[in-house]
Amino acid sequence: MGHVLAIDTSSGTSVAVLKDGIALTEIEIADTRSHTESIGNAINDALKSAGIAPSRIHAVAVGRGPAPFTGLRVGIAAAIMFAEGVGAKLFGIISLDAIAKKEFEARGTVPGNLEAAQPLLVTSDARRSEHYWALYSGLDRHGVPVCVEGPAVNRPSDIEASLVARNIQASTTSLMISARAIGELFEAQAAAGTLSHDITALYLRNPDAVEPKNLRDFGKRVSG
Amino acid sequence: MTEWIIRPAVEDDLQAIMAVEHECFPEDAWSQDNMHFEISAHHTEYFVAVSNEQVIGYAGLSKVPSSDQGDVQTIAVLPSARGIGLGRALMDALLKAAKRLHASELFLEVRADNPVAQGLYLALGFEHIDTRKNYYQPAGIDAWIMRLILPKGSIGREPVVLGIESTCDETGVGIVRGTTLLANVISSSMDEHARFGGVVPEIAARAHLEALKPTLDKALAEANLSLNDIDAIAVANGPGLGGAVMVGVAAAKALSIATGKPVYAVNHLVGHVGVDVLERGQVETPTVALLVSGGHTSLLLVRDLLDDVVLLGETIDDAAGEAFDKVARVLGLKYPGGPEIDRAAVGGDPNAIRFPRGLTQAKDMEKHRYDFSFSGLKTAVARWVEVAETKAAAGEGAEINVADVAASFREAVADVLVGKAVKACLDHNVPRLLLGGGVVANSRLRELATERCAAAGIELRIPALSLCTDNGAMIAALGAQLVMAGRQPSSLSFGADSTLPVTTVQTI
Repeated sequence: MGHVLAIDTSSGTSVAVLKDGIALTEIEIADTRSHTESIGNAINDALKSAGIAPSRIHAVAVGRGPAPFTGLRVGIAAAIMFAEGVGAKLFGIISLDAIAKKEFEARGTVPGNLEAAQPLLVTSDARRSEHYWALYSGLDRHGVPVCVEGPAVNRPSDIEASLVARNIQASTTSLMISARAIGELFEAQAAAGTLSHDITALYLRNPDAVEPKNLRDFGKRVSG
Repeated sequence: MTEWIIRPAVEDDLQAIMAVEHECFPEDAWSQDNMHFEISAHHTEYFVAVSNEQVIGYAGLSKVPSSDQGDVQTIAVLPSARGIGLGRALMDALLKAAKRLHASELFLEVRADNPVAQGLYLALGFEHIDTRKNYYQPAGIDAWIMRLILPKGSIGREPVVLGIESTCDETGVGIVRGTTLLANVISSSMDEHARFGGVVPEIAARAHLEALKPTLDKALAEANLSLNDIDAIAVANGPGLGGAVMVGVAAAKALSIATGKPVYAVNHLVGHVGVDVLERGQVETPTVALLVSGGHTSLLLVRDLLDDVVLLGETIDDAAGEAFDKVARVLGLKYPGGPEIDRAAVGGDPNAIRFPRGLTQAKDMEKHRYDFSFSGLKTAVARWVEVAETKAAAGEGAEINVADVAASFREAVADVLVGKAVKACLDHNVPRLLLGGGVVANSRLRELATERCAAAGIELRIPALSLCTDNGAMIAALGAQLVMAGRQPSSLSFGADSTLPVTTVQTI
């Protein structure tokens, strides 16, 4: 396998270059309000410190969220165009899946032994007093987390209540997502043969726009 | 005579290059790691001379996109292959690469005790500008610093520039060669906004993300080019809807890094002015520009397209296009309102109802001579319709004549727009007016502008409608003007600026 460029902007701006599943370099910018300003230098710096030319990248893996709208799009737009520019293949990774893999591994969860694993609830901040979340049962034999529910967006109390009602004892994590984790999950999915070219953003919410009930509402308001 | 070719170096050449390096520079050879970085780095271009599958020489150039200066990093030719023009050929390859990367100056260091190399560089036009004492160690030999100034527009032909536009609801990718239009592809999310009666920023931004790749692919196909043929990338980084602009900016930066082509962040509104180069070869200046769309209503004074653009005035509330959309809703017409009102106005009397002309009273003209306001007009139409309907329902008046209302409203908008634009021309003694923006599609606006400009002796320019609405070609055209003027590319750090002032033609 050649080099992989991994990008995730579902929280901060994170870019990594991996070879054979090993991160050669990783750039992390925690600021959640400067994706547009950061993304170019982050990609450029990651390639430079990995010491490889852009043309050496044979695959781009990008985090699809879920995440609050604006920043998420910056990473996906950059991934689409970088892949187009160097003729690399483009793959989408659900950001919460990457966190789940990292957390399972940190706990020493054995791949392929789903019965023994404790379920894991991965959450991330969705703003507006809500969380994005997904529930995982463990790692398959390739180390790919097995998602049993989600991703979805709900109030933390509702997520909790739903688990309690079904007597699911899940431990919880809300690790920061990193491009390195995206790249590592990419490698595991490649081994498992479950890579996906779907790079659509996981917004999980509709745009904040309300159809006017009466197309002349504003006229009434000003004259009424 | 030895047969050789020169080609770009690849990582597999590393061992062979190191062998040459050690033979040529026994005292101060670079380490293998250092050389590996040099060959593979994004900001460098290395070439090898190969004879009978043996590397017999190499040379490298460094040029970071954010600077217009390049450096000759190294050049080496095996002693057994000297005197056959190989050094000259390698230098030619570097010069070509420097020009392709839009370097305006090229620097190098050469040993003070190497007259053969100095002779080559002098012959190529380098000048000796400085000397560094004891630069080469351990021997303690001085270095000459030499510089070559590359001519402006140094790629030797008109640059091919790809422009990306995503400031509102149109995803546009355009390609130009100099001032020649090669492709102009637009993907609009207009239909998705229709049921909301106006552009919804989040919907527009989502649509950009999905339209990016297909729009780019279509533009390249239309121009019959590949990304390799593109010399530079231009992107509109504002003004516009922040979330929408971000998609285009992120895309342009990534494309720039991937292709190694410089990126130019340009002003969307100045793009509307610059588009005229595609029809006329240049933007004749000075000119006043009236830019009217769903997002903007701006009056610009352009004395120089790249260096002197000022905002004379703009709308203080709704854009003109927005007023059309809202009044269309009042009249029960569809979105977008401009073309609907144009159609509805056919046969209507433009003088049937005297709707107010915003900011044209004497007291307003003092403070807002070139500003616009359409909020009051929109309200006046809504109120007029409501009163008329109430009367009609009570049997006290006739049914509303939609054609008259539409024609009268349209007249009020066109009257103010053209009136203030012509005034700006006369006040500033500027003999030209350029129109831009989607509202230029409005037939009455064009008619009235034509009449009044003719009467005032002002030359009127209205680009083709496909170039007036938001599009990538105008961004590419403005980008090409910057490239041809020898401007340095933007850094990779620029952001999306929803309120970018027109005075900032390029964001560095």
